[in-house]
Amino acid sequence: MAKSRGYKQRNLLMMAMLAPYLFLLLAFGILPLIMAFFEVPGESLANPDGGWDAFRIVLQDFRFPAALKNVAGFMAYFVPMMIIVVIGMALMLDVKTNKWSKYLRMAYIVPASISGAVAVLVWWAIFEPTISPIRSILNFFGIDSARQIWQTENLVYLIAIMTFFSLAGNWILIQYGSLQSISTEIIEAARVDGCSAFQLAVRIKLPLIRKYVIYMAVLVFAGGLQIFVEPQLLNTGVYTGIAASWSFDQLSYELAFKSGDFGGASALSIILLIPSLIGALVVIFKTDMFDDKTIRTKKDSDKVEL
Amino acid sequence: MSTLTESPKKAKKQTRHESRIGMFFVNSWLIFFAAVSVIPMIWLLLASSKTDPELSTRNPLAFGSFKGYINAWNNLTFFDNGVIGRWVINSILYNAAIVVFATITASLAGFVISASRIRFKKTFLISTLIMMLIPPVALVIPLFVLMDKVSLIDNPLSVILISSLYPFGAFLSYIYYSTTIPPELYESARLDGCSDWQLYTRIAFPLSGALLGLLAFFAFIGNWANYFMPYVMLYSGENYTLPLGLGFLFSSTPAINPGVGATSVPIYKPEIALAGALIAFPIMVMFLISQKRLIRGMLAGSIKE
Repeated sequence: MAKSRGYKQRNLLMMAMLAPYLFLLLAFGILPLIMAFFEVPGESLANPDGGWDAFRIVLQDFRFPAALKNVAGFMAYFVPMMIIVVIGMALMLDVKTNKWSKYLRMAYIVPASISGAVAVLVWWAIFEPTISPIRSILNFFGIDSARQIWQTENLVYLIAIMTFFSLAGNWILIQYGSLQSISTEIIEAARVDGCSAFQLAVRIKLPLIRKYVIYMAVLVFAGGLQIFVEPQLLNTGVYTGIAASWSFDQLSYELAFKSGDFGGASALSIILLIPSLIGALVVIFKTDMFDDKTIRTKKDSDKVEL
Repeated sequence: MSTLTESPKKAKKQTRHESRIGMFFVNSWLIFFAAVSVIPMIWLLLASSKTDPELSTRNPLAFGSFKGYINAWNNLTFFDNGVIGRWVINSILYNAAIVVFATITASLAGFVISASRIRFKKTFLISTLIMMLIPPVALVIPLFVLMDKVSLIDNPLSVILISSLYPFGAFLSYIYYSTTIPPELYESARLDGCSDWQLYTRIAFPLSGALLGLLAFFAFIGNWANYFMPYVMLYSGENYTLPLGLGFLFSSTPAINPGVGATSVPIYKPEIALAGALIAFPIMVMFLISQKRLIRGMLAGSIKE
């Protein structure tokens, strides 16, 4: 058939339209991943002979156990807090939707614009008794100097609170959105059967948004492992030394830019990537969130109405 | 015993009423959380309207004066010959470029994957999904090495190019085009003699308005306050964006850390707060006017509203 030549030409245009994105994906997504691998066996002060020992060496770095303890402590507060509070809030918002819900949701999204450097500034102010909006609460707990709060051992809680504050609002709205996808017939049926709001939330709504909860848990977990900006800025700009190499990414940064040990830094980056990759594969292959058939066989009523 | 003889009209109302106490607790908690969410932002936005001493003496949520903002800005310009102006311009320019590149490349990619018959679609989709779920921060060190090898360190182009990679956008775009345009439409258009280009210009593009808005929204809010990657790529003050500049102000002015920085520079808490507000305010505005976009985007179009 005369189609074959036209076929190739046809695909040429499509390839051309795909090319810019493909270039970016390969150059700044796939390539760095590969380069990270090849950077690992480079020679450095810590790894004078080079080679794949870099993995073992970075794990034995004297700062690694501390970073592990810090990040593990942080995650232990941060991840459950995120999941429980976010889902709880979303379910509570969904109990009764009235005109106030819209304003509540707007309020929840406000902290999402306070992240990174701005978050450090804002939280420094909140915990500074002389200027804080909650100074009466601080005074009530006997805190009259910010130094009482900003201690290295408190960082696991403080960073967890700071990060939670920035991220919770976003996710509350997203999970609230996912609750809207539950068909009203199911809800009606449950209500008619005498379900209380609590039972409705826990027994019916929650299981139905399971895949979105998993999606959130994976992203929150993977993101939490990579905590960098807040402890780094606290360490360099606010209280020098309070958080030196506190998190894995800070250690990686230090290895790369203070010790010139790119091999070690890359090794650490790869180690950190592994949980994220596993999480990614779980969400892709174990939930149907991204399944082609889920997407393609949507009912008409489910069609995207942007 | 009246249940058996209740009229059908009453039988409908068998659904349980919410316990008053339960609803009270739920509502109180919702309102409390809203207050907690909003108070820090109010503090931030109003801090620069007050003078430094006023921050301690007056109510933290009180409004000072409009002149306060102007003073704070003027003081900021004393730092390093007005480099703050440069930071603002850089933030705007870099982000404009990023939003444009990211939105265009991602929307085209999504279209191609949903509309064409190119091979390796599945591989492509999976690699995009994986990139979506890996925190961008994880790749910063390898990206630095890469940029160093092509001599783009301290060049804004490094930040712009890296940030233009938008796997989330490509995925969103794929979902959008897949659900709004059935493949049969492309087939019949092809049978009618439509070229691929026309498939895009006549069918897909006219329907892309909402998608492009969504992509631009996420690209903006994801990049405006970005810190780690630009921090690693850029080292000259003139190339900094506002977030980098703010971090720099922490460590080089006495505002937060009285022991640090030249004391001749009049940068104290109101000034730093203004810099912070310049970063947070645009994002907040974007969020408030585009709530629905946030939800639809993150759930990749799998909900209806």
